[in-house]
Amino acid sequence: MSSGEPPLSVEAARRAAQAVLDTPGADGVEVLVSASAAGVTRFANSQIIQNIARKEVRAYVRVAVGDRVASAGTNQLDAEHMGSAATRALEAVRATRGDADWPGFARPDKDGRAEPVGRWDAATAAASPARRAEAVSQILRASDSNNAAGIYETSSYAFGVFSSAGIDCFDAYTRCAIACLVDNGESTGWGDSSSHAMGEVDVEAAAHRAAEKAEASKSPHSAAPGTYEVVLEPAATGAIIEYLSYAGFGAKQVLEHESFLARHTGEEVGAPSVSILDDVWHPQSVGIGFDFEGVPRKRVAVIERGRATGPVSDLRTARQMGVEATGHGSGSNELGPFAANVVLEAGDKSLEELIGGVSRGFLVTRFHYVNILDRPATLLTGMTRDGTFAVTDGAITGAVHNFRFAQNVLSALASVQGVGRDLVSLAPEYGGFGSTVAPALHLGEFDFVSTTSH
Amino acid sequence: MTSAIGMNELLAAALDAAMSSGASYADVRGVEIRAESLGVKGPAVESLERFDSLGFGVRALVDGAWGYACSAELDAAEAVSTARVAVEIARASATVMTAPIELVPEPVHRDSWMGPTEHDPFAVTLEDKLELLTSATAGMQVSPKIRTTRATMDLLSQTTWFVSSEGSSIDQSFVQSAAGIEAVAVDGSEVQQRSYPGSFRGHFASGGYEVIAEMDLVANAEQTAEEAVALLTAPLCPQTVTSVVLDGHQTMLQVHESVGHPTELDRVLGMEAAFAGTSFVGIPDLGSLRYGSEVVNINSDATISGGLGSYGYDDEGVAAQRVDLVKGGILVGFQTSRETAAKIGAQRSNGTMRAEGWENFPLIRMPNVNLLPGSGSFEDLLADVDDGIYMATNKSWSIDDKRLNFQFGCEVAWEIKHGKLRRMLKDPRYTGITPVFWGYCDAIAGPEEWKVWGTPNCGKGQPGQTMRVGHGTSPARFRNVSTGVSS
Ligand SMILES: [Zn+2]
Repeated sequence: MSSGEPPLSVEAARRAAQAVLDTPGADGVEVLVSASAAGVTRFANSQIIQNIARKEVRAYVRVAVGDRVASAGTNQLDAEHMGSAATRALEAVRATRGDADWPGFARPDKDGRAEPVGRWDAATAAASPARRAEAVSQILRASDSNNAAGIYETSSYAFGVFSSAGIDCFDAYTRCAIACLVDNGESTGWGDSSSHAMGEVDVEAAAHRAAEKAEASKSPHSAAPGTYEVVLEPAATGAIIEYLSYAGFGAKQVLEHESFLARHTGEEVGAPSVSILDDVWHPQSVGIGFDFEGVPRKRVAVIERGRATGPVSDLRTARQMGVEATGHGSGSNELGPFAANVVLEAGDKSLEELIGGVSRGFLVTRFHYVNILDRPATLLTGMTRDGTFAVTDGAITGAVHNFRFAQNVLSALASVQGVGRDLVSLAPEYGGFGSTVAPALHLGEFDFVSTTSH
Repeated sequence: MTSAIGMNELLAAALDAAMSSGASYADVRGVEIRAESLGVKGPAVESLERFDSLGFGVRALVDGAWGYACSAELDAAEAVSTARVAVEIARASATVMTAPIELVPEPVHRDSWMGPTEHDPFAVTLEDKLELLTSATAGMQVSPKIRTTRATMDLLSQTTWFVSSEGSSIDQSFVQSAAGIEAVAVDGSEVQQRSYPGSFRGHFASGGYEVIAEMDLVANAEQTAEEAVALLTAPLCPQTVTSVVLDGHQTMLQVHESVGHPTELDRVLGMEAAFAGTSFVGIPDLGSLRYGSEVVNINSDATISGGLGSYGYDDEGVAAQRVDLVKGGILVGFQTSRETAAKIGAQRSNGTMRAEGWENFPLIRMPNVNLLPGSGSFEDLLADVDDGIYMATNKSWSIDDKRLNFQFGCEVAWEIKHGKLRRMLKDPRYTGITPVFWGYCDAIAGPEEWKVWGTPNCGKGQPGQTMRVGHGTSPARFRNVSTGVSS
């Protein structure tokens, strides 16, 4: 079904763009092309329930006349549809108004030329439906359960940015992800694994972990809500830093005073063991070497050894702040720049050592449905799920019902007692762009505010 | 359609190829989408984006298992090869199967359906649309404390063609329109926002530009911004247990998260267990579980006009229906598909399968899940509250994987004292357990307060699909609600 080639070749992407880069009447034209070929096999109740191959391609034509800008997109890359998109963008430009903050399109001489990250694995791109079904069989056997649910995914993505100002960049990546939930009728457990290469995804280990967690979660008791020490496993840490990034790593949120960075840049906001970056170049990150304006994606420390150092930016916000763009344009002025490859740097402790350091608290496998309660305050809420355990004097003493937390993330980071040495690459929760790389964390304070009956 | 081959021939070619490759059932869906999105920040145009999409997807059932493949290349050879891929995938699915999929019967439909549109929003000039939005943001500049003003408009036109191997052939089209305004006020570290008519890009409904005209954004700009400024100095919503009245917008979110999702039969059957989660409701609860008090009546209704979930047929060709989910407080129905209906012995699907675009496999999605009106006015709801809190406009949400423990936040609240609204309160939040919370619902305002709201961003499935969902609600009153949140 797939040859292991990118879902769109650089030549095809460039050809589509070139059809409109010289659009008459435009001062400048930029084309963002994205393509994906997703193979996702979902299983539940220990059988495959949905199984899809999704190919799609999109081109967004951004046209500028002076400081007036608009964009139009199409999913058909032939010259006729591309031309029609350029015409519709130009129509919109004529109707719109001047934009005092328009930074112009990226320029290779000023903003640099992007290099590909090259997280490409041909075997992952070429994986057949039969190969995915075989992996699901393996997961089900290893989970030793008649009630397992999850996914096995092998997908590939390609992105290109081309402009009349000379931007010409292209990168492609693959992703293999497995998630497995085991429900033994009384309790549930979770295991997952993700990488750009299917050879690095250990389906059996993830399935075993899910089964072991489910077993260990039997006969949970109800613990009282309160402020406790916690150990977050990497999936739980990942959810917290993904939402912290969403809440405030972008320069637009800083400019609009909605980010914690607006007030705390330069201050100590976390323990000295905490460094959080956006870094697509980290070996476990999955992504591309430029942003959706064609600016090279830089490694940016947002919190460095506990100190808040600054946001990620795109051309518009960088100009507003008088700094150099970091290459994090999201393609949307409304969303603003976005850190899509968050990495929390590793510490020196094993998970067992982190648990061993807890006098009275809980071990959290993962969170469910995290959301922002107060953006500037970095206050998040969410539930624990699929394995929450009481820890007393450094040892797990049993499973507990799930908690709801409401926690100011900066306070939690300031209370970090230990950072795990093993980094885990996580696919974005809602299947979006990028990746999160996170270790386990031992937090001195975490607020559980209520509980549930499972 | 500008392709060399017409959509009808393309769909027929794909359907033939799926069946001749060994499918026992197949359907093919073509979708054409036209979207326009405008965003204004203060006096400036922040975004002006248009997007068109066209493609088709083939769903094939082979040896009792599903396969799905799709393409945006609209030619006969691609139709055939895409159908063959769907069949190949289904064969792979069948190798990991414990029980073959069965579909409950559905009559064959040959029909066209069109949603209501009085005034084509794509015919309105961009200049006029931007003028409306910038007038609204100008109207929100009421104080130097107003840091950001934003106005947005989202327009969507969609046409779907559906054919199935059982002989159904359906085309339908609709237009949906949305707009909204938002003011953000800042004072030191305090940041507060107010939106109108709803948060997260405003109010969404099926219909044309008339939907936007009715909102009267400009006339509401000043009050929206003044409330954002007033929130800066408002006292914090207290942590207590009290009577709470929710406005229609927050009641929409409450219905969506705590009734809409838990009554999706695929969740109940564990099919979403690993991602979105399951449900506290089980099959044996049907007809007996007390979901709420006697005043709580909730249905799933794709047949009403104007909702984001109003349609003629779902994406497996089942006619739109109205189904009771909760009646007199008792759970009486689920939202179903042809596959899941068979698993609980139902005679027919109630028509809630929808897919985002042509790219995706249809899933059970809420159409319009409505809290039916009670009686009396909003003031009547307040009149019976001696001491309580009125909360308005959803701001945040979170609920556990069985849809029991929830915590929701609103933009603004007001104290209720002796039946009247008093001081404004900031950062209102409340928490509860689903059937307990609905059990304390003791009044729902009447039809005169009832409105069909819409949320465009309901997420479900892997790969993730975003669906547009409607909810008819009026303000409702709940007793013994835990408000505020520690930390
Ligand atoms: Zn939803």
